[in-house]
Amino acid sequence: MSKDLLSKNNAKYIVGSLLLLIFAGFSYSEFKDSLTPYVPYEVALKAERSVQVAGGLEKDTHRYDDQTGILHFTLVDEETAETMPVRYEGLKPANFEDAISIVAIGMYDKATEEFAADKLLVKCPSKYQGIEDAEGKSYDGKSYEDGQGYETTAYESNATETTAYD
Amino acid sequence: MLESLSQFYLPGAVTMWCALFFALASLWGYAQALRGDTAALHFARRGYTFFSLSILMAGIILFVCLARRDFRIEYVYQYSGLDLPFHFQVAAFWAGQKGSFLIWLVWGALIGLPLLRSAGRDEPAVMIFYLLNLFGLLFILVRENPFVMLEGTPVDGAGLNPLLQDDWMVIHPPIMFIGYSAAAIPMAFALAALWRGDTSRWANRCFPWALAGFLVLGTAILMGGYWAYVTLGWGGYWGWDPVENASLIPWLIGVVLIHGLYMERTKGRFRRLNLVLACMMYLSVLYGTFLTRSGVLADFSVHSFVDLGISRWLTLWMAFFFFASLYLLATRLKHVETRANEDPLLSRGFFLVLSTSVVSLSTLVITIGTSAPLLTKVMENPAQVGPSFYNTVNMPLALVMVFLLAYVPFLTWKGTPPGQLHRKLIPSFLFGAVATVVSLGSGVEQIFHAVFIFLSATALAANVHKVIDKARGPGGLASAGGYLAHVGVGVMFLGVLASSAYDFSTKVTLEQDVPQQVGEDLTLTFKRFVPRDGWEKEKMEVLVERDDGFSYLAYPSLFVNDRTRQLMANPHVRKTAMRDYYISPIQYEPAEPKGVDHRIHLAKGESTRVEGYGVRFVEFDLAGMENPTVQLASGGMVTVGATLELSNDNGTQRVTPVYSFRQNGELSTPPTQLDDGWVAITAIDPDQGRVQLDFGGFGTGGQAARLSIDVTRKPLIALVWYGLYIVLAGGFLATVLRWRQARQLDALDAEQIGTGA
Repeated sequence: MSKDLLSKNNAKYIVGSLLLLIFAGFSYSEFKDSLTPYVPYEVALKAERSVQVAGGLEKDTHRYDDQTGILHFTLVDEETAETMPVRYEGLKPANFEDAISIVAIGMYDKATEEFAADKLLVKCPSKYQGIEDAEGKSYDGKSYEDGQGYETTAYESNATETTAYD
Repeated sequence: MLESLSQFYLPGAVTMWCALFFALASLWGYAQALRGDTAALHFARRGYTFFSLSILMAGIILFVCLARRDFRIEYVYQYSGLDLPFHFQVAAFWAGQKGSFLIWLVWGALIGLPLLRSAGRDEPAVMIFYLLNLFGLLFILVRENPFVMLEGTPVDGAGLNPLLQDDWMVIHPPIMFIGYSAAAIPMAFALAALWRGDTSRWANRCFPWALAGFLVLGTAILMGGYWAYVTLGWGGYWGWDPVENASLIPWLIGVVLIHGLYMERTKGRFRRLNLVLACMMYLSVLYGTFLTRSGVLADFSVHSFVDLGISRWLTLWMAFFFFASLYLLATRLKHVETRANEDPLLSRGFFLVLSTSVVSLSTLVITIGTSAPLLTKVMENPAQVGPSFYNTVNMPLALVMVFLLAYVPFLTWKGTPPGQLHRKLIPSFLFGAVATVVSLGSGVEQIFHAVFIFLSATALAANVHKVIDKARGPGGLASAGGYLAHVGVGVMFLGVLASSAYDFSTKVTLEQDVPQQVGEDLTLTFKRFVPRDGWEKEKMEVLVERDDGFSYLAYPSLFVNDRTRQLMANPHVRKTAMRDYYISPIQYEPAEPKGVDHRIHLAKGESTRVEGYGVRFVEFDLAGMENPTVQLASGGMVTVGATLELSNDNGTQRVTPVYSFRQNGELSTPPTQLDDGWVAITAIDPDQGRVQLDFGGFGTGGQAARLSIDVTRKPLIALVWYGLYIVLAGGFLATVLRWRQARQLDALDAEQIGTGA
């Protein structure tokens, strides 16, 4: 019996199964760690892993620091009126101010009391159409052909369009 | 009946119904042939030919409708427009859900023609299962008919999604659908063999088809990755997006299947497993289609379709094949004779078992990752896993993979003594060692990476060695396909590691004409904005200079789609042998005239602070607006005012700047003077009741044009493409070889029948 167990073929299976088990455990923990569920702010405050929080941009809270390249702003939950200060290392996404909803993916940093976002998803309103739009002009009256007025176009991107900024 | 007829474009609808009729006739014929009625076989073939022609005709009709820009047809209206050049206009064929199912069916129907000729004695059973697969598509198309007509005739279509207006759009999706169609063939062979209870020959006939499917799907994946890299600006060739994974999973199952078929053909092993794999490859295509087309991932993927009411059909179709496969496998698999694993440790057979296990594991974790939103739905809020999951989990698997690949070429079926094996591998080990030393000298730091480079380079060299041996042998180069593909895997893995672990990426904002140091050795200068010229979109001219004198002009493109007003960004990629420079535009701010200090947006009732003023938008002042529609139509000017409440230390005042415009686009936005500056309305949004206000004259603003870009340096990324080309070239050689062998065995079969009779 014991000789059988130690036979070459069995040894192969035992080693193989062990390796499989280790890999399964490794994959499972990676899977759990890299899931980023949507959570309410109170859960995000305590979360020990990467999560997603969503909200509107609170008026006049965003500040881009040219020196450090860090964008600070505050998200506000439209329903509960709770707020969450967010820090994002990177350029301010275009049409950021006009977003109807911002999703921040990252982890809450207890030291600075800010949500440190690795990634922002900016959802824009469907329309900011000027009356001139029917004429093929941008609403501020400048034509696109001369390279002007790029920042204005952002308002007009589709509502379902989500732009990612890594 | 007639009433419902009128909502379809008749030529298209009639061909679809003909196709359905002929497909049913062919199915009936093959069912009769299966019972031994040889005359029915002729009938079934003819039915199938007419079915393919009908479907081809339906495809041509949609194609012509697109080319003629016939916007009466809803599908043409929805996905194309007058602003598209001809090749994008016809590529709109596969821009939408209905059209892409149609192109899938067109390929499926056409592939069936050579399939029925190559299936030999198994033809009736194979074709029955193959037709059942086509019925899945046909039913969806009958329900989601692409030939629905609109009541009126629009002058212009709704346009093509600007993201799809790319040359790769013309070629990548149709090739992907050839691959999807081809994935049904191994399934048809396997289920037919199980159904008939004769699994002795299917592997031989199926082998070239499985290889061809692997080849086409691989080509499509390569093109998709290249498209993502050079034009979509995702920064890489692979983002582990569900739609990308949906094509990768069947391809990886195909990889396992062709190795399994190789084992079965040469050693009679893997007989049961191959039957399972053939079914799984097809089911994975359906599952991927379900994930990306049913809307379950709409919130998670950049390019998923939303549900158009077909998820129930897709589920039904998938369930049918799942349970059919399961039933046949469960009841018949135990009767399939196979040889047990008795291979010694250092033998080709055992290493094949190991390496296919590794690829299977990789496929499994990718499938689980892609299904994360579905899996987590059960427990908590649906969530997806990020690219880090796929990268981290696949890393150890890739390491084991290259280790196995290094040893495989010089292992024999009987087993090779370790001493002899390593002696043969000495030149390859030397090559691996040199590559590792060079990489350590070029900045590779992690031990894991060094080991990976050593093994990849060794695997590359060992397989090159074997390819040369094979090419000199009696089989010639044609017999070296498998090893050539392994060379490609080694090359590709080196490229993947170098370009992703040692890339350099940074975001910078360049002011016009001000050179800026980026990274260690680059200086970038934003020279000018290049206006649109014909089909050429707006571009930015950026001068890139390296310290050693190498320099070039980069033209990343940033433009607004005329129709959707989406801001589109196309990167500029400069390819060199050792590294690619990748410049992706993020944002362009045109020069602001001196004088405008602030631009704000306010909705009615909102307030903010500007230059010491509290600004509140009280209401619109429509006093100057009598009947705007009449005014505009008669060429008159319409004036809208906005009452603002401005408060500072000196008190509160109300001002009403105005915004006037004519139908012809003429605009007047006179500034209203304040104590220390001015305010003007520069845009209004009547829908949301918002205004855009410019504040100027405070002397604090005004700036040069600025361009924000993402600069990335990707070392050795060319190896990823070269590696894949080599893999596909190897696949091609193997396909030719196995095709010939299958034909030879067919001839033997025919001879046996001849002598038997």
